[in-house]
Amino acid sequence: MSNERGRRRWTVAATTLFILIVLCPVLFIVQMSVRSGLDAFRMPPVLVFRPTVANYVDLVESKFVRSLMNSTVTAVSTTILAMLLGVPAGYAFSRARFRAQRIASLWTLITRMAPPIAFGIPFFLIYKDLGLIDTRIGLVVIYLTFNLSLVIWMMRAFFDSVPRSLEEAAYIDGAGIATAFVKIALPLAAPGLATTAIFTFLLAWNDFFYSLLLTRSEAVTAPVAIVNFMNYESWEWGKVAAAATMIMLPVVALSVVVRKYIVRGLTAGALKG
Amino acid sequence: MRTETTTERVLPWPMARPARASWSRGRRLVFAAFIVPAVSVLVLVTVLPLIYLVVTSFTPLDMTNPGSLRWAGLANYRQLAGDGRFWNSVWVQAKLSFWTVTLQMVIGFAIALLLNGRMRFLELVRATFIVPMVLPPVVVALIWKILFTPDVSILDWTLGVLGLPQPAWLADPSLALWAVIVADVWEWFPFVMLMLLSALQMLPSEPLEAARLDGASRWQALRCITLPLLKPAIVVTVLFRLIDSVKAFPHIFIMTGGGPGTATEVSNFYAYLQGFSYTYIGYSSAIIVVMLLATLLMSLGVLAAAGDELDVE
Repeated sequence: MSNERGRRRWTVAATTLFILIVLCPVLFIVQMSVRSGLDAFRMPPVLVFRPTVANYVDLVESKFVRSLMNSTVTAVSTTILAMLLGVPAGYAFSRARFRAQRIASLWTLITRMAPPIAFGIPFFLIYKDLGLIDTRIGLVVIYLTFNLSLVIWMMRAFFDSVPRSLEEAAYIDGAGIATAFVKIALPLAAPGLATTAIFTFLLAWNDFFYSLLLTRSEAVTAPVAIVNFMNYESWEWGKVAAAATMIMLPVVALSVVVRKYIVRGLTAGALKG
Repeated sequence: MRTETTTERVLPWPMARPARASWSRGRRLVFAAFIVPAVSVLVLVTVLPLIYLVVTSFTPLDMTNPGSLRWAGLANYRQLAGDGRFWNSVWVQAKLSFWTVTLQMVIGFAIALLLNGRMRFLELVRATFIVPMVLPPVVVALIWKILFTPDVSILDWTLGVLGLPQPAWLADPSLALWAVIVADVWEWFPFVMLMLLSALQMLPSEPLEAARLDGASRWQALRCITLPLLKPAIVVTVLFRLIDSVKAFPHIFIMTGGGPGTATEVSNFYAYLQGFSYTYIGYSSAIIVVMLLATLLMSLGVLAAAGDELDVE
């Protein structure tokens, strides 16, 4: 009995330790963003300090706002586009059997193995010819390379868990497939739609490589903008920390909403269900 | 679908069989129409670019020389075979993949075992553990860049207080790769933990109970029952981590820039330098094609070694 209690105590201690390991680096950068200048680096660390929003004020007055705008616009647009294309396909793959499905699924696995630069090079060359370098449209399109298959496979799994009987009843009442899809399946899969949309948004929002490669100044997204003022403004740590905090806040908030599906989203297309 | 036959018999169905067949054919057409746009776009944005990549890998394409998109056969690949810097990058990649995947698997599995079935705050713990892997990779890289920078880092200060050496991690060729490994392990061990925890929770409890009744120790039960039952989940998790470990980019770009020297220059990063710093797109494409094939073969190898008990489609 006491052995069991000892084990339990040990479990709690180890778990707490790992939670600290996970959270401390994140909290470290957040607290850095509300400290002024050199205060952030005084060692031993000063635990009690007067928080300041100076770093955030600096950011809001800089071009960083524009890159945040770019991030938001491209991530939202690519989400809408991927959903419009992918949701009907996910539904059809769930309700009918196609030979294309197996091929598409294998292909998804292969594209998942490709490092971003495998798409980066050809897209860069094509965009140079089309004049799409440094445009938001260019980013929206290249984000489809990973978001579209994500939507198809995640939505297929969600539609698989929606019973077909209601749609079949509707067919008997004379409804067409499109009607049954829009009026019955879509509303029932609403939580799945929200989860999938959040996922596509997060992946686009987190992108670093494509934005690094395909934007210069006009369409730069926030993750690349941070790196830029890391280089040119000689390490203003407070500002870097504030910018990092700003781009991770929406991510953390949204991921709490979809926490149950994180693994499903990260493995979509390769694993059943 | 099969149940429709019975419905048909019960209801006074007005249509004859051929009409039904054509209705279901029509239905198939509508479903096909749902798929066509998505699949066409998928082909357009993934298949065609990858073909283009393979094509450019056979050319000496140089961005500063527009006339250089011409057939050169295997020239790039031959050059690659004798390129010491490329082989170094493969070796760095192998070290990075081996250590990140191994450490993530060990730590993730240990925590999954720890949390399995006896935590009151499991939901809370789970919510915490997803934070590193959903963070933008840039933020992860920045956090660890700061933590590994001497003088400004609390890590550095803690080591000093403990009387341990305070190395300049990112400037030391023998330590820089370890700094990248630490950042990557921190970011992704929770993924392993979540994958294996959900697999553990789906295991049948009978074999373990039977083993306990037969007097098996915890260790024996783990080794002889839990591990074999978890094998498919473990293989899939290793596969995912392995594939993603070859894609490591933001950490290296931000933390070390491939340096010091070429100590952290993985193939992916070397290809980026060749293509976009030195403008040799053709050569860069060849590196990527080789890496893609290697990843593919490696994944097939892992799958073959695991047998066919996996539910990978």
